[in-house]
Amino acid sequence: MEELAKRFATYLAHKMPKASNIEVADVSRIHGGASRETFRLNAAWDEGGHRVVRPLILRRDPVASLIETERDLEYNAYRAFHPTGLPVPEPLYLETDLKWLDRPFFVMEQIVGCAAGSPFTPDPYGPIAQKLGKQFWTHLGHIAAADPEKLGLKMDPVAPDECWSRELDKWEKVIDEDELCPQPVARAAIRWLRRNPPPPAQKISVVHGDYRSGNFLFNPEGEIKAILDWEMCHLGDPLEDLCWAADPLWGFDNKELPGGMLPRAESLRLWQEASGLKIDPKALRWWEIFNSLKGLAIWISAGKEYQSGSNRDPILALSSIYPTDVHNRVLAKELAALSKEARA
Amino acid sequence: MKPDADVMLAGFAGTMLMDIAPQLGGEYTLGSVGIISMSMLMVAQEVDRAADVRYQENVQMRALFAEAAKLIDDKNLAGRLEAASTTKDESLRVRALDASNDALKKLLIELQAVAEVSKAPWAAGLEGKIWDFLLGSVEARRFVFPSLG
Repeated sequence: MEELAKRFATYLAHKMPKASNIEVADVSRIHGGASRETFRLNAAWDEGGHRVVRPLILRRDPVASLIETERDLEYNAYRAFHPTGLPVPEPLYLETDLKWLDRPFFVMEQIVGCAAGSPFTPDPYGPIAQKLGKQFWTHLGHIAAADPEKLGLKMDPVAPDECWSRELDKWEKVIDEDELCPQPVARAAIRWLRRNPPPPAQKISVVHGDYRSGNFLFNPEGEIKAILDWEMCHLGDPLEDLCWAADPLWGFDNKELPGGMLPRAESLRLWQEASGLKIDPKALRWWEIFNSLKGLAIWISAGKEYQSGSNRDPILALSSIYPTDVHNRVLAKELAALSKEARA
Repeated sequence: MKPDADVMLAGFAGTMLMDIAPQLGGEYTLGSVGIISMSMLMVAQEVDRAADVRYQENVQMRALFAEAAKLIDDKNLAGRLEAASTTKDESLRVRALDASNDALKKLLIELQAVAEVSKAPWAAGLEGKIWDFLLGSVEARRFVFPSLG
């Protein structure tokens, strides 16, 4: 860590020519998603006759990751949403020159005094679950309501009637490339999704891509202070985010208490209120099934990374065991019921 | 081997979580030990059942294929189903069972794709049996996630 601290201090000196006596201390690696190496640190420097101390987060590209994403997407999402009042950390620097830390990285504000809940516990938020739930679903509604053009986010455009096929093609390709064994449930899901396309998106929104329990920081008073991990964000149907956040995996296998916070009906109501959008039940069902398939694709990919030896982070091995099991069960149950319904 | 593999894995995971983790510094190290311990508890669930789950699935898929081979119109697929239905597992090593399980599941995917769009009188029944098999399969492979509290 000493070497990293030294090199990062040199980088800060380059970015802040007016600063002097730059010190980087307390560097420690933290779990911050399986796609980036994340470090917490404290930077201090003299500037304008004062000593400035700033806790920072450094997110560096790994050699191989759970999801192959572009770090500038995540950085630009923080930059776009930070001025809107949505709780996201302030982004500070995006660096693609390898000379500083060998791999691209970005730097952002560290949110102090907060924690993230684990989705893999039956009651991750205890007495503040309802308070957090109200904010969680409302913030997601606000992301859905935001105008991507006004935000100035540059992402691949997509037509309302193509959101579903673009995402399905993308994740089917991941399964095609990464499956270590045949996946009959995933394949049945893909066929069902293609035979039963959803209605076009009501609007094109910024889709966070991994908005869920565990990906936000909250303080002990039950206030959400930061929505994190925007590395899979893209333009698309806002129902994609809604259904990912409500996926049973993030509610300890309980579909009726998504994210372990508020009952499902209340969660959906809050989202509709904040987004100004109506939920079409047919579209909702499609995106629910799609998201469980997307989950499977991510877990299959994690298993491939681990098995091949390209990344031996134990989170990849665990990701490919339990979440795969949950999503296979969720999908098998849903699809078997839909098959009966179609034959009736 | 005694103690049993699942007993040892669960025991080691407990030692790591309760005795070793509290002595460690560093959030990332602690988190990794937690993840490894959780994984060991799941592998402990898998080791005892792994061969049986795969063996039973293979038996069930062969029986399904023998029945389907008599029903479907596609002669090529029917021939391959018939041939697969007569195969046997010569070894009970997990990797050998996995190899036959994979081959049978590839064929199952093909069969299910045919059955689910067929309007033939046998299609609904066969599709239902495939889903019954898959529901049984995912349930047999279910992991109980140890709560982190």
